[in-house]
Amino acid sequence: MDRRSFFIGTAATATALAAGPSFAQETYPSRNITIMVAFPPGGANDIITRPVAAELEKIFKQSVVVENKAGAGGQVGAQVAANAKPDGYTLLSHNNGISGYAEVDKLFDRKPKTTREDFVPLARLAADPVMLLVNAEQPYKTVKEFIDDAKKRPEAIVYSSGGLYGATHLPVAIFEKATGIPKLRHLPTNGGGPAVTALLGNNAQMSTQTVSASLAHVRSGKLRALATFGATRSPAHPDVPTLKELGFDAEYYLWVGLFAPKGTPAAIVQTLSAALDKASQTEAYKSVIEKIGQEYAYQNAKDFAAFWEADAKASDEAVKLIGRVG
Amino acid sequence: METTLVSLAHGFAIAFQPDNLGYAFLGCLIGTLVGVLPGIGPLAGISILLPVTFGLNATQAVIMLAGIYYGSQYGGSTTSILMRIPGEASSVMTCIDGNAMARKGRAGAALCIAAVGSFIAGTFGVIMLTLVAPPLATLALRFGPPEYTALLVLGLIFLAYMSSSSLVRTLLMACLGIAIGLIGIDNMTGHFRFSFDLAELGDGIGIVPVAVGLFGLGEILSTPSHKIAGEVIAPKLRELLPTRKEWREAAGPIARGSGLGFIVGIIPGSAHVISSFLSYALERKISKHPEQFGKGAVAGVAGPESANNSASTGAFVPMLSLGIPTGPITAVLIGALMIHGVSAGPQLVNERPEIFWGFVASMYVGNLMLLLLNLPLVSVFVAVLRIPYVYLYPLIIMFCIVGVYEVNNSIVDVWIMLIMGVLGFALRKFNFDPAPLVLGLVIAPLFEQSLRQSLVMSNGNYFIFMNRPIAAVLLGICVLLLSLSAMSFFTKRRDWRAKLAEAEAGETTP
Repeated sequence: MDRRSFFIGTAATATALAAGPSFAQETYPSRNITIMVAFPPGGANDIITRPVAAELEKIFKQSVVVENKAGAGGQVGAQVAANAKPDGYTLLSHNNGISGYAEVDKLFDRKPKTTREDFVPLARLAADPVMLLVNAEQPYKTVKEFIDDAKKRPEAIVYSSGGLYGATHLPVAIFEKATGIPKLRHLPTNGGGPAVTALLGNNAQMSTQTVSASLAHVRSGKLRALATFGATRSPAHPDVPTLKELGFDAEYYLWVGLFAPKGTPAAIVQTLSAALDKASQTEAYKSVIEKIGQEYAYQNAKDFAAFWEADAKASDEAVKLIGRVG
Repeated sequence: METTLVSLAHGFAIAFQPDNLGYAFLGCLIGTLVGVLPGIGPLAGISILLPVTFGLNATQAVIMLAGIYYGSQYGGSTTSILMRIPGEASSVMTCIDGNAMARKGRAGAALCIAAVGSFIAGTFGVIMLTLVAPPLATLALRFGPPEYTALLVLGLIFLAYMSSSSLVRTLLMACLGIAIGLIGIDNMTGHFRFSFDLAELGDGIGIVPVAVGLFGLGEILSTPSHKIAGEVIAPKLRELLPTRKEWREAAGPIARGSGLGFIVGIIPGSAHVISSFLSYALERKISKHPEQFGKGAVAGVAGPESANNSASTGAFVPMLSLGIPTGPITAVLIGALMIHGVSAGPQLVNERPEIFWGFVASMYVGNLMLLLLNLPLVSVFVAVLRIPYVYLYPLIIMFCIVGVYEVNNSIVDVWIMLIMGVLGFALRKFNFDPAPLVLGLVIAPLFEQSLRQSLVMSNGNYFIFMNRPIAAVLLGICVLLLSLSAMSFFTKRRDWRAKLAEAEAGETTP
């Protein structure tokens, strides 16, 4: 082999290699996809994402790996996903938390590590309305009684949340604003479970928790549901009014969404959202949603983008209402 | 009472169905592996296998998944005893005397005592679960932030009994641990503290990377600096079983550890971690030979190992009877039940008795299986010590790194472990005991949070700790313990610690 043919051969190989990626793009996905769950195993995000991953596996004929990257209220996972290569092989399963980090960082004069612009919404997998719950030993039977007492005794009623500026804290701020009551006293805990425990033990008198997280305790009579933050009454609690019915402008869901990092090619986003639409129609996905006590609340990429926009605005406003506490 | 026995008999009928027996065995087997292999913890094991259970019914699923959980508690002591690597926070105390026993050639005895202690404690826990779950569960609910604070004050006082080094050194280490424990997001205000702009530090410094680094890696790093040529600690086969004397020494600690662990395990929150610390301190406090602790005291293995097993069973009380998770693992189990359309809570025992009693009965069977599974394995595990250090230690370092990464899929944790390894080496060189540091790290975030939560509840009034009966009793015990120590100070009776300090002073001034 002389030098010339070697050169031609090399050039040809190089061209073929260079052409490689564009070819691979046409057949996305050509290898494993990783869905990062920003919360620990066993939580709603984890439980809901896993069956979806299994369905995507069947559709794509590629492995879809679920990896838990928990920490700092979901910020660790969001940050890792935001910095991942936007090639459609790393996706993120997150919840409401993803909306608020930037606003909280602003509050503390920190440079936001991730903003909403870092993510492309793919689908809303679940949306569980939040309930206004009180310990059954408390005298309140209606929202009105609760509001009256809260007005009479400012900062006396204690409510528990899973964490500051979290998805069980913000609805209380929204509720306070909608009803015009003075601020309630906040008992932050480290997670949804401990917040419910604090309410059950009457160490807090009120808490806003999702239908699925509280259903067993409401049925056992230890907690009382006064109202729902959903747009319509929950089928699990047909007697509990919505806050909207009562004339208060408050709506809040704990949702689970799938995101891709910013810069993911449009074609791949389309492939993914089409596959997710298909997965959302499967029996496996629907039965998991039903079994954990939620209603079917899937939204495709377009609807979810609009929902997220509005929801994030409300969340930013709630963060501002809470402000800095120390 | 009679109805309980009838229900339990019904439960055994379910647990003894061949396929349920199979799933219990499978869970226990996986649990043992998960506990022994440092690369994977019970939480990861259960989560990975959760989708596999979709094809099973709810009873089978919970029997198998719970088997992984309590099975891993049996295996957890193995690496602590053989290699001084605590697989999880609750095995830290086993490292100290367990490994010291192994160095004296009693590795087999230590493993046997740990297995039997775990069996007795586990079975005791299940019996208690059978008999008193509902009333105890109500007690668990009354354990709010003020009670927690008081319990942790007790923990801090016990800290002084933790270490074989002098009081000053112990307190120094504890303070360092508490300081490290304050890293992370302030839950009350949202400030990031000492996190250097790393979101991974937001949840604080994990206990596992610190414990693995200080104990395991620190040990390995310091090995080449002293002479080890010809040091073989693998015992002969007939020396594997504990002697009659060792059994006698283990009996009391196992009984006390079982009781203490169960009570602590019921409390919702992360308190079960401190059960083994409390048991160790208690055994040392009441022992006739406290100076033997740290040098291979049987009680230092038997007590904590029983306590952590009993605590893991106690954790099922609030889970089964209230639907309250006591920690991340019970949370995953509740999630698993939910996926099978069962909601854990007060109605479980009435609505789905076959699940409740089948599960409880399977734990009796499972504990027996684990004992039969673990005792023959002792000789296999001890054989690991025959591997020359040159090959064994690089492997251990690899397992440490993989294991620590697995816990949170976090590379930051690996760095923490490596840094702690170097610190552990330095502490060893200067004769500091790392155990109080780990306990400080465990207690600090819990103590801070519960103290501040209590003050939120009372609107800043410190009398909340005196007005609530459980908290007041716990604080009363603290006062009693402190005044007892103060008394001995006035009567000028020298206790073992004073003697120890004197000996230490003697060493430094030749």
